[in-house]
Amino acid sequence: MHLSRLDFIFWAATFVGHVALLCTLIGRNRVNKYPIFTTLIAVNIARTVTLYCVFNFGTEKQYSHTYWSLAILDVALQFGVVYELAARTFRPLGVWARDLRNDFAGLICLSLIVATCLTWLATPPARKVLDIVVIKGKFFSSVCMIELFVGLLALSATAGLQWRTHASRISQAFGVYSIVCVWIDIAHNYFGFRSDNHIFFILSRIRVCTYLCCLCFWIVTLGPDEPPLRQMTDEMRSRLSEFRPKIRQDLEKFRSRRLP
Amino acid sequence: MTHSSIVFWFGNLALVFVLSVVTLRSFTRARRAARSSWEDLVKRLQWIDPAKVEKIARDLIDEPVEAKGEPGKSGLDASKIREMIGGFDGLEILKNNSKALIDLAAHLQRWYPEALKVAEELRLDARELEWYIDRLRGAEKTGNLEISFPFYAQHAIAIYYRMGRELLTFCERTDPMMFASLQKAI
Repeated sequence: MHLSRLDFIFWAATFVGHVALLCTLIGRNRVNKYPIFTTLIAVNIARTVTLYCVFNFGTEKQYSHTYWSLAILDVALQFGVVYELAARTFRPLGVWARDLRNDFAGLICLSLIVATCLTWLATPPARKVLDIVVIKGKFFSSVCMIELFVGLLALSATAGLQWRTHASRISQAFGVYSIVCVWIDIAHNYFGFRSDNHIFFILSRIRVCTYLCCLCFWIVTLGPDEPPLRQMTDEMRSRLSEFRPKIRQDLEKFRSRRLP
Repeated sequence: MTHSSIVFWFGNLALVFVLSVVTLRSFTRARRAARSSWEDLVKRLQWIDPAKVEKIARDLIDEPVEAKGEPGKSGLDASKIREMIGGFDGLEILKNNSKALIDLAAHLQRWYPEALKVAEELRLDARELEWYIDRLRGAEKTGNLEISFPFYAQHAIAIYYRMGRELLTFCERTDPMMFASLQKAI
C-alpha cells in the first residue's frame, strides 16, 4: 500500500489534533460530563499509534484487519456519543422526559429501518465480498448517524429544550462531519472501493480534512466554561413541591370521569 | 441501471431532501425561540376570557361526580359551555395558546433547570388537549358533536386551565416580573 507525503501529514495532524483535544478535555475537566466522547478521542489516539506501528512493521493483511476492527470500535463509540449528547439534552435533571423517551426510542427505530433499507438496496461496484461489506457497513453507519443527529435536533426544537453550549458544539461538528461522510459513502457506492482508485483517495482526504476542521473547532469551543444556570432557592423549591401534588390531584379527579 | 439501483438513488435523494428540510425547520425554530424575549412569547398568547375558562374548568374539577348521579355529566350544559368558550374558534385559541405556554416554559428553562419539569408537564398536557380537540373534529364529521362537545371540550378547557396555573405558579415562585406580564395575558 502506497501512502503519499500528504497522507502522512494528515495522519500526523489527526494525531496531534486528538492529543490536543484530549488535553483540553482533561485539563478543563470535561471528562466527567462527556466520558464517552473523551473515550472516543483517547481510542482514536491509540488507534493512530497502533495503525502506524502495524503499517511500518506488519503485513498489509494485518493492517487491514487492525484498521477495520478499530473502525468498528470507532463507530460504536460514535453511537455512544450520540446517546451521551441526547442524555445531556433530554435529561438535564437526571431523569428522561416522559414524553421524549418514547420519541427518542421511535427515532432510533426509524433511523435503523431507513438505514437498513437503503443499505440493502445499495449495489456498490466491488468484486470482493469484504469490500462490499465495508462499503455497505460504512454507508449504514453514516446514514444512521446523520438521521440520529437531525432527529435529535428536531426533537429538541419541538420540545423547546435548549442544548447546553458544549453538547451543542460537539453535535454541530459531528453533524457536519456526518453530512460529509454520507455524501462520501454515497459516492463510494457509485465509484467503488479500490486502493488504486484515484477518487477513493480524494474522497478519503476530504473526509480527513473535514475531521481535522472538527477537531480544531472542538479544541477552541470546549475550552471556555459554559454560562452558569440560575438555581432556585430551597424555599422556592419547597413551595413549588407543595403546589404540584395539589394540581395533580385536580387533574386526576377530572381524568377519572368516564366518557359519555 | 437495475431497478434496485434506481430505488437506492431515489431513496438517497429523498432522504437528503427530508433531512435538509427537517434540519432547516428545526434550526429556524430553535433560533427563533432563542432570540425571543419573554414579552415576545407572552404576546403570542391570544386573549380568551380567563374567568370563563376558570368557571368551566372548576365546574369539572369541583363538581362531585357521585352527587350528580350521572357520571361524566357536569353542571354546565353543552350549549352553555360552547357559548362561553366561543365554539371551535375558542378551542383553537386554547390549542395555540398551549403551544405558546410550552415555549414560555422552555424560555424559563434557560435560567432555571427546574422549569424542565414544568415544560414536560405542559407538553404532556398539550398532547392531551390536542387529542380532545381532534376527537371533537372527528365527532363533528360523524354528526355526534352535540353528544361529545360537553365532555371533550370541558376536559380540554380544564387541561388548559391547569397548564396556565402551573406556569403561573412557577413564575410567581421564581420571577415576579415575568409573573406579572403572564398574569395579564393569560
